[in-house]
Amino acid sequence: MTNNLDYQIIILGGGQSAAHAATTIRQYDSESSIAIVTNESYLPYERPPLSKKFLLNEVEIDEFLFFNEEHYKNLKIDILKNEEIKNVNFEKNLIESNNNKISYNKLLIATGCKNRTLNLENVDQKDLFYLRDINESTKIKNKFNSSENILIIGGGFIGLEIASSAKQLGKNVNVVELADNLMGRIVPKEISTIVRKKHEENGVDIHLRTNITSIKKNTDNYTIQLSNNASVICNMIIVGIGALPNVEIFDNTALKIDNGIITNQYNKTSIENVFAAGDVSNFYHPLYEENIRLESWKHAQNHGVSAGKNIVGQKTEYSEVPWMWSDQYNLNLQLTGRCDEYDSLVKRGKDENDGIIYFFMKNNQVFGACGVGIGGKIAKDIRIAGILSDKKIKVAESDLSDSSIKLNKLLKNI
Amino acid sequence: MNSEEKKWIEVGASDQIEVEDLIRFDHEGKTYCVYHLEDGYYATDGICTHEAVHLEEGLVMDDEIECPMHQGIFNIKTGKAMGPPVCIDLKTYQVKVEDNKIFIEI
Repeated sequence: MTNNLDYQIIILGGGQSAAHAATTIRQYDSESSIAIVTNESYLPYERPPLSKKFLLNEVEIDEFLFFNEEHYKNLKIDILKNEEIKNVNFEKNLIESNNNKISYNKLLIATGCKNRTLNLENVDQKDLFYLRDINESTKIKNKFNSSENILIIGGGFIGLEIASSAKQLGKNVNVVELADNLMGRIVPKEISTIVRKKHEENGVDIHLRTNITSIKKNTDNYTIQLSNNASVICNMIIVGIGALPNVEIFDNTALKIDNGIITNQYNKTSIENVFAAGDVSNFYHPLYEENIRLESWKHAQNHGVSAGKNIVGQKTEYSEVPWMWSDQYNLNLQLTGRCDEYDSLVKRGKDENDGIIYFFMKNNQVFGACGVGIGGKIAKDIRIAGILSDKKIKVAESDLSDSSIKLNKLLKNI
Repeated sequence: MNSEEKKWIEVGASDQIEVEDLIRFDHEGKTYCVYHLEDGYYATDGICTHEAVHLEEGLVMDDEIECPMHQGIFNIKTGKAMGPPVCIDLKTYQVKVEDNKIFIEI
């Protein structure tokens, strides 16, 4: 039976942006009815543990919820779980799901991303493992129990974090990556080499510039032939080759989409009273004067907060400098700002024990920075790099490269 | 409530902390952070209330300390959690400087 529901504010998607947007809305607006509508069966939860502590059986979901049940109850935020959205009608302000017809006055779309899928010869899609949500992480965890040999396709952050966890669980791990370096084009070669060596020291076989030539399915494993002539036997194949914004339910609607939902700096989409936040939003960034789409923890949180404010009429320009991290073994890698364009690269620190950072310089300003270190070694300097880029502070390259100069002194150069 | 009497504990020389910086101080199994701000010395718990990360590698700016892990921000003087992801305040402690030595009351 379909129920007719009516809310003043609907948040589509039940991730980090949704949890923070709903909470923020309530800080300003005690009256409006609010619901988070999600296809998941859980309260909004953190995703970083899914490739790390959760896979390692160190934490349970109750320990990494953003907020507990009580929080939503106290704030009168309804969470409608297990909702498969069938249709969104922007003319009628109506969402149709498998369970309900839900009308709204204001809509926030925070549907996040889905995995980019890979078609492999002789392997059913359902036999491949991906990692984005807790169900997928649980599936990997369960399969780990009966798998000693793991093949990971994709040497990006997700693939490498899974490799690190699998290794800590004593598995044999092979990682196959098409490109010359791990972690894409943006991470400087020296840093990706440090990370590769760390994996190799821990016994992971990394195959760069390598493709899969053929796969033979055996009774309980696969024989995989690689283009570098290696042959690998594995019990499971995990694919981590990136993500795509979750927008297909908006096909054939007036909502403007181009690599995500086109959104301005106030979280507004092309449709009145419809907002977007987080991974799904391709938003105008005032600092860069163009649209960008980010897939990161801090962004999902703060873009959600910003959406919450804008929805209640607290006009808030979102112009946060991008920041993300990845933890592999005892290494912590961080990126801030933008590392896709630069006039010159400046290096600080000599190795991962000290912390090593590359600054991406443009017009004598820090445009972005990428670093790696043991534990929290580089965190402070990466944060300062983010502030330097945000405030467009002119800095001398010699100051950045000199480890004896504390970077927070450069913040006074305004 | 079982309340033990507080004591002044010596942290070390006051000139070892630069302005707008902090040091970590461990005492009887607990970690504290002692800060030197423009207008004096302050102390808080040394572990973030969000995910149990040491704040010692964090950035001190104006009156705030930012956690190195998730960039949660606390006011150093009041311990107030300034916004997501942190929502639980940081405990603060009294600090005094005598003969160029810092003491905190714990």
